[in-house]
Amino acid sequence: MSDSPKILIVDDDPDIVEAMRVVLESKKYSVSVAGSGEEGFAMAQSEKPNLIILDVMMETGSKGFEVSRRLNADENLKKVPILMVTAIKEKTGIGFSRESGDDAWLPVDEYVEKPLKPDELITKVEALLKKNPA
Amino acid sequence: MNGTPEENLIRRAYWFIRIRWIAAAGLVAITYVASRAFHIPIRAPALYVIAVVLAAYNLLFLIHLRRATSGTEPVRAPAINRTAAVQISLDLLALGALVHFSGGVENPFLIYFIFHMIIAGILLTRRAAFLQAAFAVSIFTSVALLEYSGVLPHHCLRGYVGQTLHDQPLYVTGVLVVLASTVFAAVYMATWVSSALREREAALAATNRLLVEQDLIKSEYVFRVTHDIKGHLAAIRTCLDPVIEGVTGPVPPEQLNLVNRARRRSDTLLAFVKALLELTRMRMCREVAMDAFQVESAIESAVNYVEARAVANSIVIDREIDATAGWITGARVYIEETFANILANSVKYSEDDSRITVRVVDEGETVLVEIADRGIGIPADEVPKIFDEFFRARNARAIERDGTGLGLSMAKQVVERHGGEIWIESGEGRGTTVSVRLPRNPPRGLSAGPALDFQRGEAYHDGSAGRRGVAQPG
Repeated sequence: MSDSPKILIVDDDPDIVEAMRVVLESKKYSVSVAGSGEEGFAMAQSEKPNLIILDVMMETGSKGFEVSRRLNADENLKKVPILMVTAIKEKTGIGFSRESGDDAWLPVDEYVEKPLKPDELITKVEALLKKNPA
Repeated sequence: MNGTPEENLIRRAYWFIRIRWIAAAGLVAITYVASRAFHIPIRAPALYVIAVVLAAYNLLFLIHLRRATSGTEPVRAPAINRTAAVQISLDLLALGALVHFSGGVENPFLIYFIFHMIIAGILLTRRAAFLQAAFAVSIFTSVALLEYSGVLPHHCLRGYVGQTLHDQPLYVTGVLVVLASTVFAAVYMATWVSSALREREAALAATNRLLVEQDLIKSEYVFRVTHDIKGHLAAIRTCLDPVIEGVTGPVPPEQLNLVNRARRRSDTLLAFVKALLELTRMRMCREVAMDAFQVESAIESAVNYVEARAVANSIVIDREIDATAGWITGARVYIEETFANILANSVKYSEDDSRITVRVVDEGETVLVEIADRGIGIPADEVPKIFDEFFRARNARAIERDGTGLGLSMAKQVVERHGGEIWIESGEGRGTTVSVRLPRNPPRGLSAGPALDFQRGEAYHDGSAGRRGVAQPG
């Protein structure tokens, strides 16, 4: 790896974005930021990040889901791991253990609830980047 | 009147059928007594045939009604009403035939036409009931006129009346006028009373619907507000953490102290908001998905959840699980969270190096789960309040200042929505045992929608599950 891995944060909450950026940059990642799902998808295409951190509720309550499906359908981007962060885990069944294998409906690699502690964020990011090295 | 208008309708339909059995039996008995004991020359065979016909079509209507009400499809009120109208018309024809074979205008049972008018007034709409009245009048008028004119033979009740009356115009007219006016008056009164009742029934049903709707609106409101608050809290936490953990550079102890306090408070609020979101969500859920799962695996999941903290405090969690504990049906996630909530309390309020015992007892149709600790217990005067929302015992508050006070109330809500029971035995310093009894197969309907809790007005004063909403001693 010559360059540091590029991470794209797609979230419409500027404070969360800022805090995540600080944490990730402290680990020498190169971070770019998108404030909406549409902007995020466009930036994913132009910047080809190594990892995307994607919020669920943005323009719509499920914009993140939509974006993740579009990313998965894009030949150039389908291999990019997605860490999905959500303010709220919808409905019962997701609350207790998400590991119970119904990823089929959501093409994301991790699905976590906000807030995410700095070390959790780093651990997840490192694990996902190992899956898809730059 | 209780029950929905549909339930009342079905109850009345069954009632009507029960009455007809009595009528058929009564007809046989009276025919027998009149012909054998009093030797009145009625046409007994014809009357027995009428009784059999009556019983036969009653049986058909009973089968029809059972079939209509046993299915999963909702019962349609108009269909039931139409069937009732047909039954009344058939009854009127049967009564007309009966009267003809037993003396015509001479028969005192002529007055029984009124019963059908009252039943019509209760079961049918006003219009349909008056149509039945007109039908009844035309039937007994026809019988009287046809016998008077000699088209139909007259079966005189000799021995009961001194002479034939069917050929006496004044008598016949008198009977017809009195009977017709009585029939219409009966319908008028019966429909008046029953329409007033029906209006009240409809008003009650409408009020009930409104309450359910308003409750849902309230829940949605609480959900949205809580959700917004959670978004801000998550942002606060996400911003504080890097500072506290030194990501942005070293923080002097004085500053760190204050920022840490801010984080702890936001944590507390976050736990509270999450618990509130969970229980509001459950309240908004009219139906909770249920499936079958093993009691033991649910217990293990719950134990997993508290294991780390238990190990850290050298607390041992013993399991005494009946080999036949087996499967139960329920909302697994919520049941697990309930056990996890109770266990988390036990761990939190136990001294280091103590034991917690989880017992699972197979009781046949139900399963009993007992979680017993040897912790600080609950002061006796506070035990009755322990399931109240937001309540926390004073010794619990002394140990841990922050807690939602929602944990056990949510546990109670979950257990009760499964048709189970939950209770607590405790005393200060004597440890606490929380017992949960769950039916293996929750009764149908319980899973659908929360029962409105009128004593507690607020939408969020309702429990469900919140894994992190552990606060009360247990």
